[in-house]
Amino acid sequence: MSAITGKRFRRLGRLLTGIALGWLTVTGPQPLRADDNELTVVSWGGSYTRSQILGFVRDYEKASGVDVDMIDYAGGIDEIRSQVRSWNIKWDVIDLELFDAITACEEGLLEPIDAAALPPAPDGTAATADFLDGALMPCGVGNVAAATVIAFHPERVGRAPQRLEDFFNVKDFPGRRGLRRTPQTNLEWALLVDGVAPERVYEVLSTEEGIDRAFEVLTRLKPYVEWWSMGEEAVRLLETGRVVMTSAYNGRIHAATERGRPFRILWDRHVRFIDVWSIPRHGENVERALEFVHFATSTEALAAQARYIPYGPMRRSSMALLDADTVADLPTAPQNLAVSFRRDPAWWARHMPEIAPRFERWADRPVMVPRDWPAR
Amino acid sequence: MRRLPLLPVVAGLLAAPFSVPAEEPGPVTDVAALAEELERLKQKLAELEPLQRRVEQLETELDAARARQEELALADADAKRDRVPGTSEPAADEAAFAAAEIEDGITLGGALRFNFYSNDFDETVESKRGDGGLDLFRLGADGRIDDFLLSAEYRFYSFMDVLHHGWIGYEFDTLGQFELGVTRVPFGLLPYASHNFWFGTPYYLGLSDDYDFGAKWVYDAGPWQWQAAFFKNAEFGSPANLDRYSYDVVAVGDTRNEESNQLNFRGSYTLGADSSCSHEIGLSGQFGEIYNADTNRNGDHWAAAAHLDTRCGRWNVQLQAARYDYAPENPPGVPDNVIRLGGFGTSYDVAAEASVLVANVAYNLPLSWEYIDQVTCYNDYSRVLKDEDGFDDSQLNTTGCLLGVGPLYVYFDLIHAENMVFFGDGSLAGNGEDGWKRRFNVNVGYYW
Repeated sequence: MSAITGKRFRRLGRLLTGIALGWLTVTGPQPLRADDNELTVVSWGGSYTRSQILGFVRDYEKASGVDVDMIDYAGGIDEIRSQVRSWNIKWDVIDLELFDAITACEEGLLEPIDAAALPPAPDGTAATADFLDGALMPCGVGNVAAATVIAFHPERVGRAPQRLEDFFNVKDFPGRRGLRRTPQTNLEWALLVDGVAPERVYEVLSTEEGIDRAFEVLTRLKPYVEWWSMGEEAVRLLETGRVVMTSAYNGRIHAATERGRPFRILWDRHVRFIDVWSIPRHGENVERALEFVHFATSTEALAAQARYIPYGPMRRSSMALLDADTVADLPTAPQNLAVSFRRDPAWWARHMPEIAPRFERWADRPVMVPRDWPAR
Repeated sequence: MRRLPLLPVVAGLLAAPFSVPAEEPGPVTDVAALAEELERLKQKLAELEPLQRRVEQLETELDAARARQEELALADADAKRDRVPGTSEPAADEAAFAAAEIEDGITLGGALRFNFYSNDFDETVESKRGDGGLDLFRLGADGRIDDFLLSAEYRFYSFMDVLHHGWIGYEFDTLGQFELGVTRVPFGLLPYASHNFWFGTPYYLGLSDDYDFGAKWVYDAGPWQWQAAFFKNAEFGSPANLDRYSYDVVAVGDTRNEESNQLNFRGSYTLGADSSCSHEIGLSGQFGEIYNADTNRNGDHWAAAAHLDTRCGRWNVQLQAARYDYAPENPPGVPDNVIRLGGFGTSYDVAAEASVLVANVAYNLPLSWEYIDQVTCYNDYSRVLKDEDGFDDSQLNTTGCLLGVGPLYVYFDLIHAENMVFFGDGSLAGNGEDGWKRRFNVNVGYYW
């Protein structure tokens, strides 16, 4: 076979280009992107993501033919800000904490979502009436009400803690504690155990003295603290015996007990919070993302998720589909609701930017006398 | 613009329709039979619907059960992997994973420090109510490329500029770390046998924060750490050069001794590592030769130490007992009961045989303030008990605090010294001035 000369090669190239152009003229443009049939959904990992996959993600994949790729993250909006500002959107749908969604929405990082267009309840009740108060916002649709609780290992803790103060009392309840590395919940709990009435917590936290007071309480506990970021890490701290008590998401502890772990939950002054589905701006999959959010926040989908993890669905109509045993484990169950503390997402959206750096700097400070301090 | 040839375009246009899948025409059949067949299939489909739903339900339940089973197995494996049974020590595979996470790169750093002091034994300084000025400017580099390590630091003082340390190394997968160059001598409490800026007596005897030229091997095995080293000589071959950071035997005046061929061994065991209360206990030994240029003969020296370093909550207690002996081969007329050490541009005699005790305590204050990152207060005490009759003991006691604010670190030290070099006419050998002297020292440094 003779080698193709440069001239022949160029002629062959022109021939193939012409054929291709003719083909496209008749058949129209064909899909070229491999990920056209994919949706990247960002959530919190572990048993929470599992509850979403089994609750509604697989049903959505079957119904739509879309392949959903679930990614874990640990909260915050830095990555979203980076993607949106560069118009390089890799995340299609994100499960955000409400306060993060408020901040991101105000910064224009999220697509607006028309709540009126959400599917109605099975009995025809409009979505706006079916969702619980505070679950709908301009850039997000509430999905679950979860709780940060105190979880403990009854065999390792000695005697069971009865109230939040016991978590901070290392003298009578010795052993290490796990806390999420964030000022949220920790500052509120610090003031509550320091005697601040629940209804005044955010008023006190709004002052310099109040913040100092909360940090003072946390400083006393700090020598005994192991920090965690992802929800499953809190469970692992208990499982591996590194702590005897930890703050944790109630759903993760429930899942661990289903696996046979002997953990127990202290509901006293657990902190309730809401997660919402949001869509970053400038994405290429916005329509499909919106379709997913509609599907994921339907009455059936929210109820289905609650069967796999005890987080309260944000629709009233979903609650009606759950049996009494499931409802009893939810943070929104009456007996749990009575001892809860409601996080104020709007307050955190306003104050997180100033408090987070101080918290990080405080958390970084060594407790022990450092071995490596400045060389002399 | 290049024009496309017409013929291939037409060929493409003609070929395209034939490539589009077209519905195949079915055989001509009776309409009634077709309708009947369709109805029958629809009925079968309707019958299958509950079955289909049941299949989907079972699929979901199976997935859930599998996920739960997998999670349980993973959690069990994790729990087993995270702890060595009966201890709080992370198992080896986690340590290996952590090591694998280490990134390549060389980090540049440095410091600019200023020093202020006043004392009660120098009339000039006392009259001026203290003195101050530049302490040092230093630059350093630390890091790794692949498994090759580097650490170096160069210091500029107002009276000398000098390499503080500089070594290249290699980290083996399972055999520990190897260092070659001017590296820290593994002896006693590490990294320092004190908390304060002025150190304790072991530093002035060349038994703490000492750097020599040689090769060192460091091996960590869970709670155990082993270090072994061979030092050819002190950091810079020339024994007459006093411009050095750490104190060594020097050839100055009527003594012409120098350190050579020194072996070091240090082993330590840490109880409760990574817990809120850890205790390191260790033993150290060193043996080497002392070459005398006048007699051309080798004497020897040895030292040994036992130490305890306890970090419990916010407290740190350091205890150390050490013993050393220098036996140089001096020419006649040169006393053997002292040996000359030098560093920082000066030299002095120390007792040739002595025991050294260290007792330090420090407390890291709990701080909730916004801008103060660290306040560590301490009291460091050390004493040299000299064997020679008539040589008074030397003592150093420093009370102070280290204040850290971002990159700024400030040492506030009140030093009391008895018969200590640099404090009036005190001496680490004999004939020193007895009585306690006082110095107040503040060192302000910006570290990056």
